[in-house]
Amino acid sequence: MSSTTMTQAKKGSTHSADAEQKIQAMRELFADAPELGRQALENVLRELASDVSQGQHPPIESAGRTGSRLGKVSELTIIVPLAPGGAKRLRAFLQLLGGNVNAGKVGTVHDMRFVFLDNDTKMLFATAYDGDWDAYIDDFATKIPDFLDIIDSAWEGWPGIRSPHAKDYLAKHQVTAEGWYVAHPDLTVAETQRLKRIGKAVDEFLDKIGG
Amino acid sequence: MPPTVTSTGDQHTLPVPPNLQKLREIYADAPEMGRVALDKIMGELQAAVRSQQKAATAGRIGLRQGKVSELTAIVKLTPGGAKRLRALLDALGNNFQGADIVGTLHDMRFVFLDNDTKLLFATAYDGDWDPYIDDFSTKIPDALDVLFCNAEGYPGMHSPAVRDWIADNQITADAWYVANPNLTVSETRRLERVGKAVEELLDKIQ
Repeated sequence: MSSTTMTQAKKGSTHSADAEQKIQAMRELFADAPELGRQALENVLRELASDVSQGQHPPIESAGRTGSRLGKVSELTIIVPLAPGGAKRLRAFLQLLGGNVNAGKVGTVHDMRFVFLDNDTKMLFATAYDGDWDAYIDDFATKIPDFLDIIDSAWEGWPGIRSPHAKDYLAKHQVTAEGWYVAHPDLTVAETQRLKRIGKAVDEFLDKIGG
Repeated sequence: MPPTVTSTGDQHTLPVPPNLQKLREIYADAPEMGRVALDKIMGELQAAVRSQQKAATAGRIGLRQGKVSELTAIVKLTPGGAKRLRALLDALGNNFQGADIVGTLHDMRFVFLDNDTKLLFATAYDGDWDPYIDDFSTKIPDALDVLFCNAEGYPGMHSPAVRDWIADNQITADAWYVANPNLTVSETRRLERVGKAVEELLDKIQ
């Protein structure tokens, strides 16, 4: 047996021992869960065991200052307090845009949602984006500062995107996700765009040689 | 007919359409920063309002942009619920095999709120609300029961009451943007394969 295989085998067994421990700990924790949950846990335990030890997905990492990242795609989840009248203004703005705030200019945003919470006193902003936190915030600030100001002028205590305190404000209100799944963690927005072009070219090519 | 925008420089002098004028009035009591920004992008905004694809409904609840919908729910956690859920997420190590099995999930996040008393669950998924919930309940009911048995009032994925429970806890977004609204998860997967095949082909003929 080569040394590489040895190392792999060793790694594998340590991994599954670790997995066993985690599963045992979970069984104990779920002891006081509703019956429905305990039964479901037993049902998924075998599946879970292979999930935990396989590790086929990249591990979750930090997106930088705050937030989680899986592969190349990060999450930002922020809940900000709204200033009096802020919700009314923001809602009018979003309605005018037909509920679609185009962040195409930023170029690294996969998706983005605005949700009003707690009788319009708070706003949830959640997005999936490429890369690290600092670069992402910089992109928003440099590429669509005016759009951003129309939205964030509804926030209580917001210092303005050009303020040196802007990033602290954002980080303070951001809540890092403890679970983060992305179907295609290796695809950035730009790479998906490139794949779309390739797909189109291939279709055209096949059309030509077929006809 | 909306006025034709000839160049960026002209935009400020063009008559402002009534809907944008109304927005300007609503923004009259916004901080200066917001008012100034609104004036600066008036022209751009006019163009966006005219040309942009509007968000549609995802069915029973939630927004849809092209083929991709949003689901945003905040549920109350039971005592001990956050602890169990956290252990579960930790054990999974973000390896959500179930989500791969469902096959229509673009992304999904679990966020603990208000000192672990609430959980925000937000996803981007393909198609309409009803078939999405069906997919969940037929393909991975156990995984969902393990996760959401930690939420107050959760009736179980096999209960007929589960749809109402989800809808009751869901909050429709007021705006929803998707970079590639016409790409489903499976279409993106196909493009990935096409891209790989093209690279291999190019390698071979070089």
